[in-house]
Amino acid sequence: MSKIKGFCCNYTLSVEVDALKEEGLVPEDLEIERLPCTGRLEVPEILDAFTQGAEAVFVVGCQVDKCHNLSGSYRASKRVKYAKKILEELDMNPDLVEMFFAGRGETEPVVEAARTMASRA
Amino acid sequence: MIIAERKPMKELLEMVSDVKKLLIVGCRGCVAVCSAGGDKEVSILSAALRLGVKRAGGEIEIHEDTLVRQCDPEYIDPLNDKGAKYDAVLSMACGVGVNFVADRCPDVNVLPALNTTFYGANLSSGEWKEMCAGCGACVLHLTGGLCPVARCAKSLSNGPCGGSQGGRCEINPDVDCIWQQIYDKLSSMNRKEELRQIMPMRDWTTAGHGGPRRRIREDLLP
Repeated sequence: MSKIKGFCCNYTLSVEVDALKEEGLVPEDLEIERLPCTGRLEVPEILDAFTQGAEAVFVVGCQVDKCHNLSGSYRASKRVKYAKKILEELDMNPDLVEMFFAGRGETEPVVEAARTMASRA
Repeated sequence: MIIAERKPMKELLEMVSDVKKLLIVGCRGCVAVCSAGGDKEVSILSAALRLGVKRAGGEIEIHEDTLVRQCDPEYIDPLNDKGAKYDAVLSMACGVGVNFVADRCPDVNVLPALNTTFYGANLSSGEWKEMCAGCGACVLHLTGGLCPVARCAKSLSNGPCGGSQGGRCEINPDVDCIWQQIYDKLSSMNRKEELRQIMPMRDWTTAGHGGPRRRIREDLLP
């Protein structure tokens, strides 16, 4: 498992992660998992990423009012919020998991999210 | 419905500290509806315990299951054989379910994952409020349907008390005085005069003060 794990919806990141790594834009130890919609993401998947070795986890979904599936990214943000609560209960830094929002096909916010989380790990 | 909430993770981790093989069992009854112990919560607790145990340097094998209810024998009884294969069964049912498993599954080491809190209603997504105390002697016909046992801090039969100020309870300004609401409700129904009747002293034996309660309906007995 990479140190930084990201979950992105199919409508945000438009560039392959390897290409971003070649350009030196994101950390080498970043792993991105694409989902049809971040609304599909459940709390256990976030927690399991930590159990499998991730040091920080982030989720990038559509802008809340422009989600392709209407409420997917909003639901994801609520699950991230609950995951933060569980991390706190486990004496972990809740900032090690974060929700970000990006416009359709925008790569820059994903790159920024990966860098932010790498700095927190 | 019965409202419950998950115990703090630290308490749960302490509870399973010696457990190597754990079965988490949810319930699709009340605790699923109040988002405390249904399929989804079983899955979350399982992931949280795996992470917590790993961080503590331990190892645990966790399996998941959810029963239709944990308060009926037909769903519980098969758990005796299944649960005996585990060091412990962590029940995400209310206290009724945990007790029922303990009663009927002698080979199972059952542990509670939830704190059972009250009988309540769902005000909005994520918010529940106590509405009934299960006291066994309902007086709602006298109080406009509003319960002074569950919703008055002092469970007064003849309120309000002197701590009722501006329609609020003295224990907390965010809590409505239920006796003020009873007065307002009966007034709006032209039944205010009924409040002049002093309610007699309650017999609390029906509320469990006379020991564990039991209900029998003979026409349904086998």
